[in-house]
Amino acid sequence: MSRTPLPLLLAALGWSLLPLLWQLLTSLRTAEALVLQGAGAWLQGWTLDNYRLVLQGDPPFWRYLLNSSLVGAASTGLTLLLAIPAAYGLQRQRPALRGALSLALLAAAMFPYVLLFLALLELARALGWGNQLLALALPYAGLSLPLAVLLLRAAFADLPEELEDAARLEGLNLWQRLRRVLLPLLAPAIASTAILVFLFSWNEYPIALTWISRADLLTLPVAMARIAGSSVYAVPYGAFAAATVLGALPLLALVLVFQRQIVSGLTQGAVKG
Amino acid sequence: MSHPAGLHCDQLTRRVGERCLLDRLNLAVEPGESLALLGPSGCGKTTTLRLLAGLDPASGGRIRLDGDDITTRPAGQRQVAMVFQSYALYPHLSVVANLELGLEVRGVPAAERRRRIAEVLALLQLEGLELRRPAQLSGGQRQRVAMARALLRQPRLMLLDEPMSNLDAQLRDQLRPELRALLQRAGHPVIHVTHDQQEAMGLADRIAVLDGGVLQQVGTPQELYHRPANLFVARFLGRPGINLLRPEAGVQRAVRPEHLQLVPDGGLPVRLQQREWQGAQQLLRLESDLGLLLLLCDAAQPLGDALQVQWRAEDELRFDGSSGQRLE
Repeated sequence: MSRTPLPLLLAALGWSLLPLLWQLLTSLRTAEALVLQGAGAWLQGWTLDNYRLVLQGDPPFWRYLLNSSLVGAASTGLTLLLAIPAAYGLQRQRPALRGALSLALLAAAMFPYVLLFLALLELARALGWGNQLLALALPYAGLSLPLAVLLLRAAFADLPEELEDAARLEGLNLWQRLRRVLLPLLAPAIASTAILVFLFSWNEYPIALTWISRADLLTLPVAMARIAGSSVYAVPYGAFAAATVLGALPLLALVLVFQRQIVSGLTQGAVKG
Repeated sequence: MSHPAGLHCDQLTRRVGERCLLDRLNLAVEPGESLALLGPSGCGKTTTLRLLAGLDPASGGRIRLDGDDITTRPAGQRQVAMVFQSYALYPHLSVVANLELGLEVRGVPAAERRRRIAEVLALLQLEGLELRRPAQLSGGQRQRVAMARALLRQPRLMLLDEPMSNLDAQLRDQLRPELRALLQRAGHPVIHVTHDQQEAMGLADRIAVLDGGVLQQVGTPQELYHRPANLFVARFLGRPGINLLRPEAGVQRAVRPEHLQLVPDGGLPVRLQQREWQGAQQLLRLESDLGLLLLLCDAAQPLGDALQVQWRAEDELRFDGSSGQRLE
């Protein structure tokens, strides 16, 4: 086993982290300071005004965070609720049927969903789902389901069948087998699937833009686009950067919470004998 | 019905699509008796085990356990325990939690759970390992935990699927008598599947030999060895394998390597091809007019230049050349 050379690692880290650092610095500086030249430029122009502006806006920024979190949690919960039983059922099918269904799911997962958003808008209008925050969870869960089912099915397939057979012989019913034996073993796969779904919901733009128009119901991406485009004459770089930083914090927290489970999942697989 | 207790399979059949995995199996196992299902892979032995456990549905026939017809009863309600080849311990649970889960879902009160687990831990010498995860146990310890879990089921029938195949040869030799004593004490019928005849003979009172989903013969190891029902059984049991002589007039004759004797004269002339020393014994590969012969004899036996072999008439087995059935 060769180790990744340190310079390469640093380059990769810089490549992905420096833009974030740039955003962080931009968010902490006044608009004038951003264009200052010269050696002393870094000494002046530090400010928290951008954050103040964003947080005290109307509606305040935390409102968008809350909206996005609610939609994210609802779509993640709904997706897992449907995907876990679906994945289990799919794995228990005859191989031929399982292959055909998996292929169909893959096709659905690969479909560019932007092509659907006009149709979805019609649907929302017809059902009166416009400006209903949690209604967003329905298309989000629907769009996430195919990939979630495929990921979880693969995880189910990795579990030895004898484990469930043993549990059946011990008298565990289907629900007990899932809850006491299979799902604890799938925790890492469930966690990573959940993060993917949450991330999709957190970043989704076109559907959120078209379904929601009330300012206090906007999700984060739409709200941020409004900040960026609030004036025709100036781009509010600082405020935009502050919104970006604030919008990234919940995701960061989420990954930190799940990190232990993901890492433990990796090492569990490593020592399995 | 002779005796209601124990296991009785009647015309038990399992078909998947066109393929017949098990064809009209009739089998009876007494309480306290240990039966080995022996055969090459794909012979139907694991299929039989899964049918008895209720993990797969039967396509035909009946299974009766202590007089109850359990053919269609769900696996969890059969009171049948099974030790899996991989042991199938729950990897995320400690030894105690592995043992406790089944008791808990079956509604055994906590105090009794603790008492019974302590009992079985002592019986299987697993004390001190209560809080380990399966990954932190050795192969032999895992096997004992799987055994403990099966015993806690208080089964009416115990099934073992290749219980020794994941252990090294030394540990196998050590565990075989222990396992046998444990199963005899338990007093319910035991069926265990193996492709290893050594293990079958060491663990079982009787052996059932399967091939292609069809029961070939069932009997004590001695019966199977000395009076095999057909050519398949004769060839499957015994190592080194039985010698098949050149067929004559539709009759296939066979002699076991240890029944061949070297004689000074008056026997079948043979030519030594290879000599394999095996410690106490030596194995000779001999060429003769009747085909290649294996001969097993004392390692100290000197070999002359011109070798001849003979065997007693009663040691020769005769089979019908086309059906393979043994001729008396």
